[in-house]
Amino acid sequence: MKKSLPFIFRYPSFKTELIAVIFCFLLPASVFSQSDTTKKLKQVNVNTSLIPTIPAVGPSQTVSAHEFIHYSAFNVADAIRDLSGVTIKDYGGIGGLKTISIRGLGANHTAVLFDGIQMTDAENGQIDLGKLNLSDIEEITLYNGQPPNICQTAKAFASSSVLSIKTIKPALTAAKPYAIIAGIKTGSFGLFQPYLQWQQRLSKTWAFVINSYLIDANGRYSYPHNANGVLEAGTRTNTQISARQADGALYWVKDSASFNLHVSYYNSDRGLPGAVIDSIPPAYGQRIQNRDLFIQGGYEQKWAYGFHLLLNSKFSNSKLHYLDPHFINTTQVLDQHFVQREYYQSAALAYTILSNWEASLATDISVNSMDADMPNFPNPTRVSSLNALASNLSLGRLTLQGSLLYTKTFEKVKRRTAYPDKHLLSPTIMATLKPWNDQNLQLRAYYKSTFRNPTFNDLYYGFSPNKDLKPEYAQQYDIGFSYRKGVNGLIDFITINADAYFNHVADKIVFIPTLYNGSTQNFGKVDIKGLDIGIKTAVTRAAGYRLDIGANYSYQQALNVTGPVTDDNYLNQLPYIPKHTLALNAGINKGPIGVYYNLIAISSRYYNNNNKLADYMPPYSVSDGSVIYRTLVLTFPVIISAEVNNLFDKNYVVVQSYPMPGRSYRFSFQISI
Amino acid sequence: MKQFKLHSFFITLASITVLVSCHKDKVAPAPDKPTAQRAGIYILNQGGAGHNNSTLTYYDYTTKSLVADQFTAANSSTLGDVGNDLGIYGSKMYVVVNNSAAIYVTNAKTAKQIKKITLNQPRSIVFNKNYAFITSYDGTVSVIDTATLTITKTIPVGADPEQMAIANGKLYVANSGGLLYPAPPTNTLSVIDLNTLTEIKKITVQVNPIALAADSYDNIYVLSLGDFNTVPAGMTVVNAKTDQIRSKPTVSLGYNVPIYAQGDYVYYPTTTDNITYQIAVYNTKTQTLASANFITDGTVITTPYSVSGDPLTGEIFIGDAKDYSSDGSVVAFDKTGKKEYSITAGIDPGKIVLVNK
Repeated sequence: MKKSLPFIFRYPSFKTELIAVIFCFLLPASVFSQSDTTKKLKQVNVNTSLIPTIPAVGPSQTVSAHEFIHYSAFNVADAIRDLSGVTIKDYGGIGGLKTISIRGLGANHTAVLFDGIQMTDAENGQIDLGKLNLSDIEEITLYNGQPPNICQTAKAFASSSVLSIKTIKPALTAAKPYAIIAGIKTGSFGLFQPYLQWQQRLSKTWAFVINSYLIDANGRYSYPHNANGVLEAGTRTNTQISARQADGALYWVKDSASFNLHVSYYNSDRGLPGAVIDSIPPAYGQRIQNRDLFIQGGYEQKWAYGFHLLLNSKFSNSKLHYLDPHFINTTQVLDQHFVQREYYQSAALAYTILSNWEASLATDISVNSMDADMPNFPNPTRVSSLNALASNLSLGRLTLQGSLLYTKTFEKVKRRTAYPDKHLLSPTIMATLKPWNDQNLQLRAYYKSTFRNPTFNDLYYGFSPNKDLKPEYAQQYDIGFSYRKGVNGLIDFITINADAYFNHVADKIVFIPTLYNGSTQNFGKVDIKGLDIGIKTAVTRAAGYRLDIGANYSYQQALNVTGPVTDDNYLNQLPYIPKHTLALNAGINKGPIGVYYNLIAISSRYYNNNNKLADYMPPYSVSDGSVIYRTLVLTFPVIISAEVNNLFDKNYVVVQSYPMPGRSYRFSFQISI
Repeated sequence: MKQFKLHSFFITLASITVLVSCHKDKVAPAPDKPTAQRAGIYILNQGGAGHNNSTLTYYDYTTKSLVADQFTAANSSTLGDVGNDLGIYGSKMYVVVNNSAAIYVTNAKTAKQIKKITLNQPRSIVFNKNYAFITSYDGTVSVIDTATLTITKTIPVGADPEQMAIANGKLYVANSGGLLYPAPPTNTLSVIDLNTLTEIKKITVQVNPIALAADSYDNIYVLSLGDFNTVPAGMTVVNAKTDQIRSKPTVSLGYNVPIYAQGDYVYYPTTTDNITYQIAVYNTKTQTLASANFITDGTVITTPYSVSGDPLTGEIFIGDAKDYSSDGSVVAFDKTGKKEYSITAGIDPGKIVLVNK
């Protein structure tokens, strides 16, 4: 890598050869990744009150890179946990699994888009947001329903909500054609995380960004532990994590065309602490290793006569190695390897028919396969083709968006029986109305029907597939409004977003061990009635103070309506879904200093269907605090920050038997050159 | 593999929500049965693996009251993770808690803890002549002196032993090998001489034996899960006099293979369509199927998870695990297979034991 440096500096306007150069030092990523890491904190102008924009069509909420510190966020899951409608399932600790449930729907109903391309896990359909580092992320947006832009991949239309992650794009000038950001984080859990980002402008049209980071932590923390009725302090062990990530992105922009190529390699080795089991010492020795590589590229062009083209491609190869050296059998070892591959191609073409009317067609084909060294594992391959027809129409104050998605899947297996072919139609209709000339009030409503297909785990985990298994359907109905107002006086602005929604889930996919080796079946219906409310405001004082306050409240009544009505569980709240979630965030900035406080309060939950006292999980509230100081060292901007998670050292549990950490600290130093 | 699979599906189930249709189970008026001898019924509920929510339900015959967790009520502590077996011997009750590596010895009437014995991955318990025998996934049978409550001997058997049965002065142990994964499960019973407390031989049965029952004619009934590939679940009848295979009756077993012998019959669940279960009755005297379904009044047991009975009344109790993640129930049937009443149990009621006054 060091040899490559002067080479690139000397030939800043290189093109095709450069791609080869970049590849050459990116691919031996395990070497490269040893070195360092990156993180960018977007500069924020502390003197200007930027009024947040209101959602374009459906409800959406955005968290930008400069706000990550407001939430004392360490990963993507932390950064979005304040958003309305979000329930994070957190198994605790620095390497612990974190998945997201939006508006009472399971993790499989949310698509995570990384620069517009969906991240997939064909095995269990859930993306671990705890694994996603914030270092190269510019912005995260949660869209309920679908994003407003209709020139996008067909997969972006396919889920009940979309978590769109956008990486940092280079914004450099000929006068200063590079930017290097170097930083380090340390603190509790034995954390050591250096990071480095290098942005380089190569010519008027070409630029690249290279990121890398390393995380080493022992992850240990103490928690109260039940030892045969007596509470004593236990320590979470086997929690260590060693992760390295390197990614490089190459950008080309000319007039109304752009191209990007992104290569990412993630390598981690984690201990799995497992559930805390009464009266026995903590499990030890279980490990999980990930080796994830993906290469994705996109090309976008807009023509003056109304066409808009978007091409995306992706290849990914994800290896997972699970090792339990103390497995409870006589051989004492469970050692498993899983490999997933994806080939993905998407093409979308939009055409502006009239100035107020746009239509698009998107076609995606993805091939997902999985291998595992389990006896009789069928090594399934799923081919999915998605075709989405969409249109945006503006009629004065009314904006309409409609889309129709046709999904076709077929599956091949090397042994046993394959899941039958599926053809499904998923319609969406969204409307936005600005009732008055005042552009600040917007009313909206949408209906969206989606489904999630059974995952490879649902179908092939050690048993014959249930050929009658249907996809799990989710219908969403939403009505809401956004209001924003700039005020000169007491406050700078206020924005309010509120939505009421109803979701119905049918044919929930559930593992039922009926025959001797069990099967997956469609069992259960869920009705979710909810309310999402978000308020943001800011106050600036002549003395130079700026106060930002945000609050989000979510109400989720997620009821089991499987029936019959005589069933014990009929109309019971779903496990792990809190009825009330409140998130408060406040920050004060003055000059170079910012101080932030975040509070999340979750009402009681049950961890089982019966909603009985024994399954009760008490409400909790967790506070985080952070201080940030921006200065210059010589001429280089420096950011120093200190963060405290779980400020009041509360004992709480998100997932039964997985205690969460008490108070923890994180310190970071970052310099931009 | 059983254990392995159980873990995975319980985790799956815990994370999802779901539910099988089931009835509102109320504690109905008690049966018109002799309560002169019986105090009530204990039900050991396994709970979800990793949830530390195993419970001991107690239904009192006299007061007709139901205590959801008698162990917690008596001890202000919890059983822990996956209570797998329960037995009463003399005045003491033994609760075998698999993942919490514990045998809780309690007063049988009150469930008040007397002693906790630590044993790695204990599974099942039987009693003989002042000794308790407990299988462990370590591949052993531990012998506990019921007077001193200490482990006096550890007998090596096959891989991942599950249930045991006693006949003709011998202890039969199901060596499942169900956790040898990815190697296939094993297919033997260990035969232990109860005088010398040593393994004297192994008998080959259908692969992956789990559940055992002994009748009054020195026969052992073995239910095996098969190898999850080519060999299906099945039953083997072993003659304890000769230690030879007597027969392999054709049965259509489901995932759950509880088996219970009472009088001249053994009872076990069968299924052909993976959805509805019957309780088959096998005549131990004639060695023929006596009835394809013991239940005669159309009562539906969604997921038969345990079978027990009362030899005094001829009643049969069937534990229903329903969707494996909600409260189960125990349904009492009279000897003609008609439902008498139903008791709400906890999650995965895996063992039903009567306690005397």
